[in-house]
Amino acid sequence: MRIATDIGGTFTDLVYVNDAGEIGVAKSDTTPGQFEQGVLDVIRRSGVNPYHIDDFIHGTTVIINALTERKGAKTGLITTKGFRDVLEIARGNRPDLFNVRYLKPAPFVPRHLRLEVSERLDYTGVVVSPLASAELKAAVQRLKAEGVEAVAISFLHAYTNPAHEQEALQLIAEWWPEVQITASHEISQEWREYERTNTAVLNSYVKPTAAAYIDHMEQRLTAEGVNGRRYVMQSNAGMTSFRQAKLTPIQMVESGPVAGIFGAAILGKWIGEENIIAFDIGGTTAKCSLIDKGEVKVTTDYKIEQNERNAGYPVKVPVVDIVEIGTGGGSIAWIDEGGSLRVGPKSAGALPGPVAYGRGGQAPTTTDANLLTGRLSLDNFASPASMETVRQAIEEQIATPFGLSADEAALGILRIANSNMLNALKLVSVRRGYDPRDFTLIAFGGGGPLHAAALARELGVRKVVVPFASSVFSAWGMLMTDLRKDHIQTYIRRIERLDLAELNGILAQIQESGLQAYLDEGLRREDIAWVRYADMRYLGQEHTVKVIMPEEDLTAALLAELSSQFHEIHEREYTFRLEGVPVEIVNLHVSIIGSVRKPAPKPLAGHGSDASDAHTGTRPVLFDEANWLNTPVYNRNKLQPGNEIEGPAIVEEPSSSVVVYPGQRLAMDGYGNLIIETEVHSR
Amino acid sequence: MTTGSMIDPFTREIVKDSLVAIGEEMFYSLARTSMSPIIYEVLDFASGLTDAKGQLLTQGNGVTGFIGMLTFMVKNTLDKFGPEGLHPGDVIILNDPYGGGGSHLSDVGLVMPIFHEGELVAFAANKAHWTEVGGKDPGSWTTDSTEIYQEGLQFPTIKLFNKGEINQALIDLIEANVRFPNLSLGDMWAQIAGLRTGERRFGELCSKYGKQTVQASIDFLLDHGEQVSRQQLSLLPAGVYEAEDEVEDDGFGNGPFPVRVKVTITADEFICDFRGSHPQVKGPMNASYTALVSSVRTIFLAVTNPSQDVNDGVFRPLRVITDRKSILSAERPAAVSTYWESMQFGAELVWKALAPVIPDRLNAGHLLSVCGIILSGVHPVTQEPYLIVEPSVGGWGAGSDMDGLAGQFCIGDGETYNVPVEVAEARYGIRVDEYSLTADGAGAGEFRGGSGVIRTYRTLSDGHSFSGTFGRHEIVPWGLNGGLAGSGNVIEIRKADGRQVQQLGICARVPLDQGDVVRLITATGGGYGNPLLRPADKVLADWKDGYISLEQARDLYGLVIDPATGHLEQITAARAALG
Repeated sequence: MRIATDIGGTFTDLVYVNDAGEIGVAKSDTTPGQFEQGVLDVIRRSGVNPYHIDDFIHGTTVIINALTERKGAKTGLITTKGFRDVLEIARGNRPDLFNVRYLKPAPFVPRHLRLEVSERLDYTGVVVSPLASAELKAAVQRLKAEGVEAVAISFLHAYTNPAHEQEALQLIAEWWPEVQITASHEISQEWREYERTNTAVLNSYVKPTAAAYIDHMEQRLTAEGVNGRRYVMQSNAGMTSFRQAKLTPIQMVESGPVAGIFGAAILGKWIGEENIIAFDIGGTTAKCSLIDKGEVKVTTDYKIEQNERNAGYPVKVPVVDIVEIGTGGGSIAWIDEGGSLRVGPKSAGALPGPVAYGRGGQAPTTTDANLLTGRLSLDNFASPASMETVRQAIEEQIATPFGLSADEAALGILRIANSNMLNALKLVSVRRGYDPRDFTLIAFGGGGPLHAAALARELGVRKVVVPFASSVFSAWGMLMTDLRKDHIQTYIRRIERLDLAELNGILAQIQESGLQAYLDEGLRREDIAWVRYADMRYLGQEHTVKVIMPEEDLTAALLAELSSQFHEIHEREYTFRLEGVPVEIVNLHVSIIGSVRKPAPKPLAGHGSDASDAHTGTRPVLFDEANWLNTPVYNRNKLQPGNEIEGPAIVEEPSSSVVVYPGQRLAMDGYGNLIIETEVHSR
Repeated sequence: MTTGSMIDPFTREIVKDSLVAIGEEMFYSLARTSMSPIIYEVLDFASGLTDAKGQLLTQGNGVTGFIGMLTFMVKNTLDKFGPEGLHPGDVIILNDPYGGGGSHLSDVGLVMPIFHEGELVAFAANKAHWTEVGGKDPGSWTTDSTEIYQEGLQFPTIKLFNKGEINQALIDLIEANVRFPNLSLGDMWAQIAGLRTGERRFGELCSKYGKQTVQASIDFLLDHGEQVSRQQLSLLPAGVYEAEDEVEDDGFGNGPFPVRVKVTITADEFICDFRGSHPQVKGPMNASYTALVSSVRTIFLAVTNPSQDVNDGVFRPLRVITDRKSILSAERPAAVSTYWESMQFGAELVWKALAPVIPDRLNAGHLLSVCGIILSGVHPVTQEPYLIVEPSVGGWGAGSDMDGLAGQFCIGDGETYNVPVEVAEARYGIRVDEYSLTADGAGAGEFRGGSGVIRTYRTLSDGHSFSGTFGRHEIVPWGLNGGLAGSGNVIEIRKADGRQVQQLGICARVPLDQGDVVRLITATGGGYGNPLLRPADKVLADWKDGYISLEQARDLYGLVIDPATGHLEQITAARAALG
């Protein structure tokens, strides 16, 4: 038995798969302050016997919350002499260009807790001056006296030679064993001192929080008899042990959202689609990510609190490449000073929520527009407002200023929301040189099923999948993950000057250390695999493109092949290639994956195409160009594998619904996924 | 979805948003493929779309300094060729500072006409700082040129592509005349890629919605921009406001040169009159009229609505008046290579004139200067020539409810990134000894000015050359409403023998040998409000963090601190007198 639990803002979700390959789900309330309680509640509710749990996988927002709510530890920084202000100067950029009252993100460590010690390496890693241990000792005493709970160490060029950081780590551990420490090279082996320093600082900042959280969870699980292997979901779409998660908690920062993306990749494999656009519409945002030939893209360009007006804080850890926009179900529709209709980024949230929720919300949202146009029904909400109240909100705030009817205004809100989402979808596909016609859209989250079919049509996607576990899809993704560690090492070499023996040696060393770590955790050699990449660019460029390297040792011939792949990807993404310009490797990237045994899924047999048993009635729905259509409504829970439905149709779920447009066709497959064939024709 | 001219407001809105998205896509396409740090780190470029008449529709910006310059480029192209002289596949190249280019020769503009069903419907344009365009000094811009002919290649609005056919002679000419042809031509291709993206996306938009709908949306976009501006304008206090300042030095020891503005705000106009400013000067600190207008646009946006989409409609209420041939409206063949030192006064003067009346929108003075440097030489390990061309971060002024920011690029820059120390050391083979805040305690106030920084370069071999221009060297950032002035920008050169230390605001081609050091010290911003009113807990924290000294706490803020405990020991009479 393998179970995954995912703590979200409102609900704690659980998905399990038993040894027979049967999948089950459960939900219970999230219990802030005592998150482990929600986890135990949901296990109880699922009916799973705790003693039968072999693998327990967990995703949580506790790290991102500690960061955004500034509830981490009092943290000190020890850095190279002359550079303590790097954390405050940051990169000096001002994304809000014309705002002369821009607020720069304040560093997580104030100046008096940023201390310097003499030590210096040059850019090749050669020691210029040794670590002054007396200064280090003085710094430690000062931080102790200030009541610091966690320390980050970040020295210049530690990405290429961590010797001084290791020495400092050892000394501090000796002098001050109870303090939580992070050295920058433990988290990131990439150049750029501000980004690496900030990452080390944030890791230390959340370390005590993570340790307390995981320890509590561990105790409670043990007490309940959950004694199997325990894992935490990381932002790189893989999982790691509880022990490792306490050391590098910053790796958990996006564990929930990335699990959904990963789930889409796995689901794609089940249903034979390896080119996927994963699309997750929540209450305040929509997130999307592109999966190319089954591969989830991972980058280290992640930032927290970044938006078009704020520089945010860089976190140089591998995170699944997700584009997020501020349009979701709760996004508020409003008219700006110039008379333009906008949807989001302000959200009504869960409280008061959309007008339809009947909890006092006054501002019309995407959800309200979905209700007024018949896509949702009042039954989707626990204690809804009246339809008249919803209509009135849209009428007064949107329709009247434009001189339109409430229906037209509601449709307008949906079109603007869709246009925002479409831009995000284009950002991950068309704008990176991919043709959406080669992709399948997997839509989940509360809003995914409502908007997916319309977006697919606009984007030119032929097939939409609303997964069987769409309401607990992140937990389902976690259930399907393997152990994964990404090692990214800055290694700047021109292709034509590359020392192949050195390169192969470094790669072998990275693989060996990853392999050993997993063997130590009890994995079998044959379950450990790796994928190797090179981040490459034309000499002089800054940004890189990721190219997969062959599995075997590199030879001159394989290198030439690598180069030609680089030219190709560069041309796809950026429209041109520069054959004459030298090509450079910047980073080596090795993903080490430790596969864990997962029960195989069991597709159900077909029940024929007749869906009439699930038909519950009809209601008018306002489709874009076709006006109000009397539309058949189905209950998703009563659909059987093999059932088919012609659009227009609505398939209702408890808190959402799947909208099928005229001309589209929906079918349920053997896993319970809903597959919509759009009217888009193949090339 | 739409028929005839009856376009529903949402389609219009969606097309408008699509245009903005196209602008962004063009912008990132260029940034990600450029070869030069000045483009991909400093983002010293702009790109966007105009309509067929050259009205700016959308502009992606890395720096504020180019705001609206694309319009001038396209209008210059139309003036020269006329619509009939332009064809699908054409790309025009230009950098004439006094005409369509607007800044200096290093900023090379490309313009591509976009056709739909045989008709000219729009232009894609971009303008990017090439690391090299030739001229007398490496990096092309210099602090002691006296006429434009010393500043590099001039591209007088000529065709780089003719009906899709590249003008190879021109490429060869560029290759022969610039010091790092790979960089310059690489950037050129990045620019072309950006334009092609714009052309393709605009075509898709026309195909999807029809030309008529797109045109109607464009009109709406421009009118919408104008409407937002006028509405914001009506919230400003009408009146006439004046300010004066000085450009310090032209690189030849001449100066200072007075500059002035009279800002007239009425219900529907924002007029900036710079007449009476000093005539154009011998050195390269002259700005053309286009540059001045761009700078004024920056502050116009800051005081009206900094968060809105930018297009030509937004600027309809703005008028900029100058004399001819002034330091703010130079004409051929005036040297303009460090034009930004005077151009920035377009924004600064308006800022200074209006800050006292709208302190909720404008803070005290900031470092103002780009603090640009050029360091060149040979990498001691790779033996390859290198070239650093970069701006510096410094302190910003405090405001009515905020301390000033430390270590930010000036108003003329923007989404500009400093070069990481680890990257600089690897790429250039120099050593950075220090990158820290000056924490000089200048800019005292109830709200404190933000600290400038110190960045120290040490050369590890012989034969390097350094040029820099740090305006606001002696005339420091101004305080507001009783806040004290900040400190100045300083280039400090220390020779390895220890005997010679120079502090300068401007210098050209200073030779540096092994062990020589250049310390780049930038200004702390001006303070806001009487320092004696700063709450004691903030002053104690400032001292503890080392932003102010014990003496400053006592003399400026009126608080005597016990350095042993960090506790407040005594309140001075001056502070007590304020209650």
